[in-house]
Amino acid sequence: MAEPTPKTRGVTVLLEGIRKSYEGVPVLRGVDLEVAAGEILAIVGQSGTGKSVLLRQIIGLERPDAGRITVGGVELQRYLAMSPEEKPFRIGMVFQSAALLASLTVAENVSLRLRERGRHSPAEVAAITRHALQQVELAGTEEKLPSELSGGMRKRASIARALAIEPELILYDEPTADLDPILTEEIGRLIARIRTTRGATQIIVTHNLPLARSVADRIAVLAEGRIAECIPPRELGASRHPLTREFVRASGLGA
Amino acid sequence: MAVEAMGHRLSPQGFLGRLGAGLLDVLQVLGEATLLFVATLRAVPAALHDRARVGTQIVRVGTDTLWIGGLLALFVGMVLVVQTADQIENVGQDILGPIVGLAMTKELGPVLMAFLLAGRAGSAMAAELGSMTVYDEINALRTMDIDPVRFLVMPRFIAATVTLPILVLYADFIGVWGGAAVVAVDPAITLPVRSYFARMFEWVHFRDILIGMTKALVFGMVASIVPCTFGLRTKGGAEGIAASTTSAVVWSFILILVWDFVIVRLTFGLD
Repeated sequence: MAEPTPKTRGVTVLLEGIRKSYEGVPVLRGVDLEVAAGEILAIVGQSGTGKSVLLRQIIGLERPDAGRITVGGVELQRYLAMSPEEKPFRIGMVFQSAALLASLTVAENVSLRLRERGRHSPAEVAAITRHALQQVELAGTEEKLPSELSGGMRKRASIARALAIEPELILYDEPTADLDPILTEEIGRLIARIRTTRGATQIIVTHNLPLARSVADRIAVLAEGRIAECIPPRELGASRHPLTREFVRASGLGA
Repeated sequence: MAVEAMGHRLSPQGFLGRLGAGLLDVLQVLGEATLLFVATLRAVPAALHDRARVGTQIVRVGTDTLWIGGLLALFVGMVLVVQTADQIENVGQDILGPIVGLAMTKELGPVLMAFLLAGRAGSAMAAELGSMTVYDEINALRTMDIDPVRFLVMPRFIAATVTLPILVLYADFIGVWGGAAVVAVDPAITLPVRSYFARMFEWVHFRDILIGMTKALVFGMVASIVPCTFGLRTKGGAEGIAASTTSAVVWSFILILVWDFVIVRLTFGLD
């Protein structure tokens, strides 16, 4: 059986005036953002500023109070209402906690959606799973339970689960939270490799500025519920925005 | 992921405010449980494809409840005989069989097994789903276009609903034989075992067993839907999971008793 062929496509993401409040407290106050197909965008900001909330709006786990989200030219609510078979593209998400199902093995976690859809033969599912695990360098862990993996391995297994559905858009919620610098670098390399091999659009929510700078095409700074600025990493040092400057200084990336 | 704003809740002031908030909370839980029940019923046909998951849950619910259920039923049957014999000195001991038989089949078997299922398997369901909710596993399923109701709730619902009637029959059997054992060996009881069973079969009809089975079916639904509801509405970390688990068991007990009364009232006077 041939290995699954790498995809080289991504989808655009367009956010217009996204607002979200919880019990009257505004978290997102009008987020406008455009992500090009195949682009890697990092969203940085202080803890509690709504970075993860923004990600949840993009994948449809929560609905914004106002504003419009368009992914791949399709309005998000219309996309969500489609049956899995109708959907013109797929969105994968890597959660901060990895969110692997504790009762399933690594292979079962990675192949879960494929098995549930039932459109692939068991041999195909096994091949796709193996390929996804090889991509994240977790070959040989198929029969392990998530509890038997280290934090970094769990994150990579979670990325493999996202990759197994061959997504055109991958969202990462703090992919390097609780990881040491070596594992952080490893995740960064993996994200960069996914762009090379698959070309998927990737949006990374993180407060790890070195990671954002090393992998992203652009870095969006979220402050006070809005995108304060969205700049290429090379312009970080020249930014005049106080939060960006503070981030650069605190991350030790300054001159 | 935590957003500080999400932690801000308006806390109602005064007795009436707290009472109102409490009532609203009760209505919300009942509403969510009803919606989950309807969604689960819609997902039941998918059980044909999910036989392995349903089977796993049936085994889990059964093994959680079987031994302790048997022990409970045995002692309840034994206590029932001794306690009744003590109370009916002047009436005659031949009523022991009908009392144990009717009490076990119509009331104690279904209610005790339902309590046991809610306390053992139900609390495990609430804790498991609560943990999955808190750690984003439920959201992960949603992002993979996998319906958590079909994937997680429906197998547990079917397992509890199918298993409880079987457990009740098993408990009835053990309870009745527990009573018979006491009748046979306790010197204070002069009734022959043969008469104990003969009088029981005179009084306990198929209809009584059917009422017990109806209760078991309804209680099985309650003892799975309520814990799953609390599991899926869990917020916070370990503390939230613990609170959900406790609430799930308490609410299951209360709703089992409410439905017990409803069924008893509806079947009152039925021949």
